[in-house]
Amino acid sequence: MMILNDIRFQWRHRFYFVYLLVCSLYLLLLHFIPSEYKETVAVLLTFSDPSALGLIFAGGILLLEKDQGIQDCLFVTPLRLREYLLAKAISLSLLSILAAWMIHGFSLGMPLSPIRFTVGVMLTSSLFTLLSIGIVVRTQTVNGFILLSQLFSFPFALPLLHLFDIGSRALFVFFPTYGSLLLIGTINRPVSSMETIYAVGIMMIGNTIAFLWAKHSFQQRVLLGITKGKST
Amino acid sequence: MPTMNQAVSNPVIDPVIEVDRLQFSYPGTGSRILHGISFTIARGDIFGFLGPSGAGKSTTQKVLIGVLKGYDGRVKVLGEEIRDTRSGYYERIGVAFEFPNFYSKLSVLENLKLFRSLYTGETEEPIKLLEQVGLADAAHLKVSELSKGMKMRLNFCRALLHRPAVLFLDEPTSGLDPVNAKIMKDLILERKAAGTTIVITTHNMHAAEELCDRVAFIVDGQIKLIDSPRELKLRQGESKVRVEFMEGEIRKSEDFPIDDLAQNERFLQVIGRHKIETIHSLEASLEQIFIDVTGRTLT
Repeated sequence: MMILNDIRFQWRHRFYFVYLLVCSLYLLLLHFIPSEYKETVAVLLTFSDPSALGLIFAGGILLLEKDQGIQDCLFVTPLRLREYLLAKAISLSLLSILAAWMIHGFSLGMPLSPIRFTVGVMLTSSLFTLLSIGIVVRTQTVNGFILLSQLFSFPFALPLLHLFDIGSRALFVFFPTYGSLLLIGTINRPVSSMETIYAVGIMMIGNTIAFLWAKHSFQQRVLLGITKGKST
Repeated sequence: MPTMNQAVSNPVIDPVIEVDRLQFSYPGTGSRILHGISFTIARGDIFGFLGPSGAGKSTTQKVLIGVLKGYDGRVKVLGEEIRDTRSGYYERIGVAFEFPNFYSKLSVLENLKLFRSLYTGETEEPIKLLEQVGLADAAHLKVSELSKGMKMRLNFCRALLHRPAVLFLDEPTSGLDPVNAKIMKDLILERKAAGTTIVITTHNMHAAEELCDRVAFIVDGQIKLIDSPRELKLRQGESKVRVEFMEGEIRKSEDFPIDDLAQNERFLQVIGRHKIETIHSLEASLEQIFIDVTGRTLT
């Protein structure tokens, strides 16, 4: 139920409208890219799209909720923290999937492996959403959040180097985002079952660690923060 | 004058909340906020925590609502030790914070429906609750379009959505004009009449006087006194009536002992011969009692 509530919140705050604009810009960009680079750029865009969406939107949503003073009201209901976090991750993953399919549907057509592609987008989006939640609870301002989010997310972008043949594969296999690139790369390149298992596995591990980190951070900094309010 | 221990020793019939030697320090701060407070609250009572900012009343309430669980001592609400409670506890209690915060882009009704969806037990129809608090016409307005008084009533509705047995209200009349404050007080008394146990945290003495069956004065993390406002006022006040009257063109005032007032010749003479402007019994105000007992003001 909280997932639907989050989708409604995102809809009312025009997140979907903003993302329609972003998708249009992506489509425009892809239109002008020469065909020999188009597929690489598409992988790059598809990777950065759910990453940025999760990273920026989740932080934005939490800052909006904080601004509206909603969180203390939510946590004196039976809502559990894990339900709250998963609802954010799932609702934004759905938006990411919608956006990714829109971009590809209108530019490159059907990916080679639609299921792997969808799973890749979904797990990338949820990873960055959870990462974003862990980050945003450490800041008080939008500027602080933007700065910290760049700092925290930078290591996750390193596997992109491999997309441009920089560095060996062994350097990146422990990054969950390497798994993202493998699955999202199924736009134009088939991956084996073993690669798929590895990619889903490493992303699941990444998501689990990000979830535990976000949960702990939220517990310590928001729920205890509520309790440390000015009035005693 | 009753002390904390005397108040605690008075047995409460059918207690819903039992607190025994509650101590609390915020993690990492080292300084203790609550110093072993004890009290009980009976089913269907309105109980008020009164104290200045920083006294520990909000911390006490946060322990009671299960937000702070790292306490020492014993705290039982509806038979459950608070540190052992899980999310199901919130099916049984309702909480209205001082600031009526809602999803500002959603309508009044959408907000209530959203919060209602978080409960698994039986819930009220939001529109019926809105009718009860006079907000039915505002059901489709965005929350950001409501006045403070309307938001406070909506805040109250949200706390009632799941028919809680115990209601915790933080400064329920804060920032309200007299008309809206009266509406809120009437709503609270209606819930009491329906059998709900209500715990109020406030520094508004007048609201406490009008609403509470018993009040606890909290200062520096300790309860200095627990009693009913009426008892306190009578016991701490002077047993006198003050008469203000006109003697010719001059306004005068005289105090008379309440005992044997009907036989007091001077009193009879004053009320018989002069134009009376006011007659008041001189019971103490709750605010004055608070100052006398704690040596502190409420601001």
